[in-house]
Amino acid sequence: MDLHKVRRLSRVLVTSQLRSGRSSSDPRSIFGQPAFTAGLDVTVFLVAFTVVSLAVRSLTLGSGASGAGSVGAAVNGAIPFFPLAAVGVVLIAGTMFELSATAKFSGSDAVNWMPITPAEYVVSSSSAIAYTYSPAVALLLGGLLAFSVAEGALVTFVLTLILTVVALFEGALLVEMVRSLSTRAGSVGSGRRGPATFVLRAVVLISAILVLDLALNPVFLFEAVQRLSAFPAVSAAIPLFWSSRALSEWLSGQYLLGVAFAAAQVGFVVVLGLLAAQLRVRYWVPSATEIRLDAHRYARNHPVLSRIGLSRPEAALVSKDLRGLIRRKEMMPPLVVPIVLVLLLLIEGSGFGTLTTILWVAWVGGFFALLLSVTSVGQERRSLQLLFAFPITGRTVFRAKAAAALLPVVVAAAAMSFGVGLVAHFSTVSLLGVVLLTVVAAVILSFWGLVFAGRYSDFQERPRPQFLRPSAMLGATLSGVALLSAIVLPGAFVVADPSPTSLGFVVLSVGIAVTVGISAYVLARSGFDALFRELPF
Amino acid sequence: MGALPSDTHPSVSGSFALEVDGVSKAYGTTQALSNVQFAVPRGQIVGLLGPNGAGKSTTMKAVLGLVRPDSGTIRVFGRDVHADPVGVKRQIGYVPETPSVYEFLTGAEYLDFVADMYGLDPTSRRAQIQPFLDGLELSGHENSLISGYSQGMRQKVALIAGLFHHPQLLVLDEPLNGLDPRAARVVKDLLRNRVTRDGVGILFSTHVLEIAQAICDRVVILHHGTVLASGTVDSLRDRTGLAGSGLEEVFLALTGTGDIGDVVAALER
Repeated sequence: MDLHKVRRLSRVLVTSQLRSGRSSSDPRSIFGQPAFTAGLDVTVFLVAFTVVSLAVRSLTLGSGASGAGSVGAAVNGAIPFFPLAAVGVVLIAGTMFELSATAKFSGSDAVNWMPITPAEYVVSSSSAIAYTYSPAVALLLGGLLAFSVAEGALVTFVLTLILTVVALFEGALLVEMVRSLSTRAGSVGSGRRGPATFVLRAVVLISAILVLDLALNPVFLFEAVQRLSAFPAVSAAIPLFWSSRALSEWLSGQYLLGVAFAAAQVGFVVVLGLLAAQLRVRYWVPSATEIRLDAHRYARNHPVLSRIGLSRPEAALVSKDLRGLIRRKEMMPPLVVPIVLVLLLLIEGSGFGTLTTILWVAWVGGFFALLLSVTSVGQERRSLQLLFAFPITGRTVFRAKAAAALLPVVVAAAAMSFGVGLVAHFSTVSLLGVVLLTVVAAVILSFWGLVFAGRYSDFQERPRPQFLRPSAMLGATLSGVALLSAIVLPGAFVVADPSPTSLGFVVLSVGIAVTVGISAYVLARSGFDALFRELPF
Repeated sequence: MGALPSDTHPSVSGSFALEVDGVSKAYGTTQALSNVQFAVPRGQIVGLLGPNGAGKSTTMKAVLGLVRPDSGTIRVFGRDVHADPVGVKRQIGYVPETPSVYEFLTGAEYLDFVADMYGLDPTSRRAQIQPFLDGLELSGHENSLISGYSQGMRQKVALIAGLFHHPQLLVLDEPLNGLDPRAARVVKDLLRNRVTRDGVGILFSTHVLEIAQAICDRVVILHHGTVLASGTVDSLRDRTGLAGSGLEEVFLALTGTGDIGDVVAALER
């Protein structure tokens, strides 16, 4: 293995990952330099160390030895989970990054035709992934060092540090394996049917987000700690837990056993590396798989879309965008986020009252609409010049983009609010009210998203497309929150408790909705007119 | 060598498919085009040549109304591009330098989409598209996603999209990029047929000077955003005093990039 080559390739991969983000694509930006991550590591480590040191000192002074002892016990209980947390952070973040990359970039990889062995690539790539996500670990370790200094347990800190860094690589190697396997699964799942790929990606992404939510849920983590200590035989059999076992044994004075588990963990990571290299050799493909769909029938009249008043070019544009919505890998996150939010509501929200449920559903509907409509122009990327070259006007594109956003949004908002209302046993009036409120919020937020899409879309080809310029995305989100609150809050009170006395809330909600809706429509339309005066790139 | 005067002045609108008249365009402090003036007569192929960054793509985008000139006018069959953009675009077939076609559609879906954009009769579009798919050997691949196509196949799709609706002006930016020899020959013959039989005007940008010499009736040489020379290859030979030379020698002499021997020698050192 040529270590110089590995180091150079790692540096390039880190740079690539940093610059594929939102604000660091400028090669001169400090945020796009690998050194930035190292600086961030040091900063968060020192900040965490300082903050926790001060907290420990004030706790010791305030409550004496008993308080410090109980904190120490809690920290000792948490230490075994540091390596697991590192694996989780890298695995989830790395997998999410992979899923949001465009097929064009994830399917092409220059290193495939360079003189680099699969093992060299796997070591480089996993090092790059581990390095990219290292600030999260630095934060944990900075806090731990403060406790270790206070407790005089520096040897434990060093062992935790080593095993957490090993865990970082373990997570990175797992991401490498996910990459190779998803390439394989994508081609198996698609074959001759594209929708299979769509479902596969959606399931993976929804699972990843749910796991992430549970991994960050303190109640779930506490339960995991209890289970691990209750079933030592189980944790000994699962390599993923060996670092945790090593630290548990070390903390309980079983030093030899602790070192044995630590050595076993290192050995397991080496085996993972070899396995990842083999998977790369076997499953990595340098170009996209050819996917054949059912034979296309020409001369369709788009009957459904024509019926809602769209001209043939508008209907063709809508049809194109809807196909893209389910076929494009990078469109997956805006689609699955509302599904995850509803699933979380159903899993964790059993104690929600009627008002909270109505607010949640209307917000999810509104945000889905906003997320989808802000992508509507930026998703064209360089193909925008095709729309300019066709004999159509900016107004045609506006109507088509509005319809392409509204159709899925209205259907999803109505179905979701109706479903949740049924599950929550709403009265008939409340059920109709929540459907109406959610659909209205979704429609208005769709136009609000189009206001930003027409003016601030980003058309750059990037590994990880951003659709809207970062500052505009922030503006759209903040203003969307404000508008959604103004529309939904008074409406939700009425729906939760329909009575003649709530007439004032009805008038307020309708008034705000009409004012904002008309303003958003006018602003969005003028934005498209301005956009279609000259190609923006 | 200084700019040579153009021998084609866009004066009689009726005989020209395209007239570019005194067009200038700046991007910030960069002057992309400066008083560009040339015309594409009906029934002729005009080659738009120039080194990288000469302004060819900007000119083509201006012709399509994709960029607005700071000054000057562009007329297609006598109609101002910016006064009636939709009407003008209906008469133009465009093949961009990079085929930025929608990769998530199949070839057939994309061509159907283009047909909708040009308002083609739904009942006849299959008959219009299928011969192109057959002729360029894309039949059998039209139901695959474009993301799985090779570069040449994407180029064929872009070419079909530019040609099948029978436009009267073709704006082609490196149209033979990535095509196999058979497909390139089919396209060249097809373009010549359109020109001689239908009187179509073609603006044809390329870096391959052999192709330009073989198929273009006239050439326009752009350099640093200005028209350095225009006319038939023979007239340019005469004016540069390079009788008997190929277009390559004429081009290098005109653009002042003829120091090839020195460059190669430096690279070999």
